[in-house]
Amino acid sequence: MNNFGVIEVASQKTKNAPGWAYVPDTGLTPAAAAALQPLNRKRAARDKANVGAPDLTARQDAKIRKDLEALDRDSHRDAQIPIPPKAGGTRAQNKHTPNVRKILQSQKTFANHLDDYQAFLALAESNPQLAAQVNKPTPTTTARNSPAPSTITTASTNKRSSAASKRAAATAAAAAAAKEEKGGSNKKSKTQPQSKPADDDDDVEMIDAPDTALPSPNIAEATTGPDSSEPLPPRPSASTSLDPTTTATTTTEPEPTKPQSYPPDGTILPPYNRPPPTPHPGDDDPLLISRVPPFPTDEELRALMTAPPLSYLEARAQWTEEEEGRYPVRRFCEVCGYWGRVKCIKCGARVCALECLEAHREECLVRYGL
Amino acid sequence: MAGGGGGARKSRAAGPVPPTTTLVLDNGADTIKAGFVSDDTSDDKPRIIPNCLARDRHRKIYVGSELEKCKDFSEMAFRRPVEKGFIVNWEAQKEIWDREFFDDKAPQKCNPSETRLILTEQPNSLPSLQTHCDQIVFEEYGFASYYRGVGPVFNAYRDIQSIFRTPQSTIDSPAEVILLIDSGYSHTTVTPILQGRPLHPAIRRLDVGGKLMTNYLTRLLSVRHFDMRNEPYIVNEMKEAVCYTSLNFKGDLEKTWKGTRGEKREDYLSGAGIAKDYVLPDSHTHFHGVVRDYEPGVSARARKGIVSTEDVLTLRNERFVVPELLFNPSDIGIRQPGIADLVKQSLLALPIGLWPGLLANIVVVGGNSLSEGFCQRLQTEILKRFPDECRVRVARPEDPITSTWLGAANFAKHEHASRLEVTKQEYEEHGAAWVARKFAAGLGLDS
Repeated sequence: MNNFGVIEVASQKTKNAPGWAYVPDTGLTPAAAAALQPLNRKRAARDKANVGAPDLTARQDAKIRKDLEALDRDSHRDAQIPIPPKAGGTRAQNKHTPNVRKILQSQKTFANHLDDYQAFLALAESNPQLAAQVNKPTPTTTARNSPAPSTITTASTNKRSSAASKRAAATAAAAAAAKEEKGGSNKKSKTQPQSKPADDDDDVEMIDAPDTALPSPNIAEATTGPDSSEPLPPRPSASTSLDPTTTATTTTEPEPTKPQSYPPDGTILPPYNRPPPTPHPGDDDPLLISRVPPFPTDEELRALMTAPPLSYLEARAQWTEEEEGRYPVRRFCEVCGYWGRVKCIKCGARVCALECLEAHREECLVRYGL
Repeated sequence: MAGGGGGARKSRAAGPVPPTTTLVLDNGADTIKAGFVSDDTSDDKPRIIPNCLARDRHRKIYVGSELEKCKDFSEMAFRRPVEKGFIVNWEAQKEIWDREFFDDKAPQKCNPSETRLILTEQPNSLPSLQTHCDQIVFEEYGFASYYRGVGPVFNAYRDIQSIFRTPQSTIDSPAEVILLIDSGYSHTTVTPILQGRPLHPAIRRLDVGGKLMTNYLTRLLSVRHFDMRNEPYIVNEMKEAVCYTSLNFKGDLEKTWKGTRGEKREDYLSGAGIAKDYVLPDSHTHFHGVVRDYEPGVSARARKGIVSTEDVLTLRNERFVVPELLFNPSDIGIRQPGIADLVKQSLLALPIGLWPGLLANIVVVGGNSLSEGFCQRLQTEILKRFPDECRVRVARPEDPITSTWLGAANFAKHEHASRLEVTKQEYEEHGAAWVARKFAAGLGLDS
């Protein structure tokens, strides 16, 4: 460290970024203002935006993030294990269909797939133009497609939150779009006679929304005959046009067959029909009465049981606002795992007592210098 | 939304004879649970196949169940086709499936064109991955018919009340109402199930699973004892052998503290019943670790080299800090609620009227639930979060790892399976998007 006393502050990597930037001054955020000039000490302590956060510097935050990423990995070193050749001679190289070949060769990780999906959702959401464009034809197509009994169910699905239907639409559309990811090969699947689904994909890539509106009447007429589950196959072409509203209606398509299967006012959860428990003298005691919450109505249950799945990120549990800072985060000694009662002055790491602090110092010195 | 109504049934009658055997696959991230089910006979328990390509330190590669032949697990490296619970790398997955089910000498030989496949998947999958799965099943293997369902839901087809030891006369199949917690290798999910239908808006996931816990134990050991970062197999074995869920975290932590400098704490010296010695495999005479009761002084001597024949680790708070991550993920900075709050968040998405039923029927499956004290801890934590009047019962089937498979095997015989399955013919007729929609719609309503 004999640099003539010069201490290098910035790291090497930042050289192509400017050291400063103009930042719009939008005034103090309420949290920052409160921190600068608290009105009342008690309140300042309570109103802190995030109780756990002030304890963490950016450096510690980055460290936690890095650590978590490391914990999430499958192995310490990235193991590149090739698939071993077959022991008993080569397996007959049966031909894969184009779809399968594409899937097998894909080296995408889960993170890649997730990013693709997110990007797709963002696109579907930020395209109100397309949405407005196809808004008009949709009621007509649904009217044509759905036979009379299904009107009840479509109404009930409309009652569901629009977010849910939008999500469903996006999911369905994504499912369809997944096939054309990575630029599916048009020529191959066109020459391939047997797989119709692949052809659907091709239609999608070429034809725009107005075109899909044209063929749909024919299809509807052709298929509203005896088997009502048929109107589905041509749908993918509509659903891949990246439009929430059309796809929302397409997702309700499978329903025409549904109303026959359950009585309109039947109870979903049947009443208790087993023998009641043996009576007890204390049954009528007002002190012992337990309150049973009202049972959900059939409609609620129906909506719950037929609701579409959430997306991967929506299902991830997260702290709600009020819960976030309800309990302070527990801190542990980084050396021995007991409560972290002492903070290292240099790096802010927690240790339990002097002995561990000394052990920590060695590491701290190596990492950050004197 | 029973997509395949009259039309589907008709086409099936016209087509080839429906398959009589069913291959039930619970394709987990760590292990595959596989077995055959047919109308009269069925495997009473699945074969458990490691779902990985593994390479030992002599660079020999083991695929799937070949891992049984491996003796020396030191410096084992793994490649897993399943990431975050979902099949992502089909190249590797296909290789494993081929060797286990479709090759000439496969241990569970199966002819896909005469077999029905029931495959589990984790809830809230990505549509693109689902499509890939469907395409491989039909276009590559050509199964006669197929259903891909949310794994936790299959547990509803088991005899749930016998797990709770409730006296009963009739068996509901599927169970009327259960709250299923599945804590596996990749993550932990909470799934409320009503009559075999998952309540999708209330499914919640915590990104803490066996893998993260093993990695965390690896880190703790590497900081405090030896560098174990290249030994995932050994650490995993150790985790399964010694880790337990603490019922009194603060107390246990206090007991395992060495104290301030110079302080000789009684509990620390004696081990307080918590400390255990773990003898690491030496790759010569024994290949699996051994747990021993803590003997004061042994590990200290071993460290000084007096008894140098074996490597002994003394595990103290590592034993309960690791499973604690399921209950307090914020301990290592994960900004997610613990498993009990997960249950609470899930129930908050449902009408209150369903709470009593769900809370009284909580079933825990998955390998992490095997840690000692898990159910008890979960029950006390959940009790704290709900009104007094709610009765909370938490039960774990005897076989939490194969439970989903057993449920799926029952499902295969159930009338629901024939309603949900998609035949190859239907796939070719309607395409992958239709299949995906039919599976997503699930059973719909019928009662």
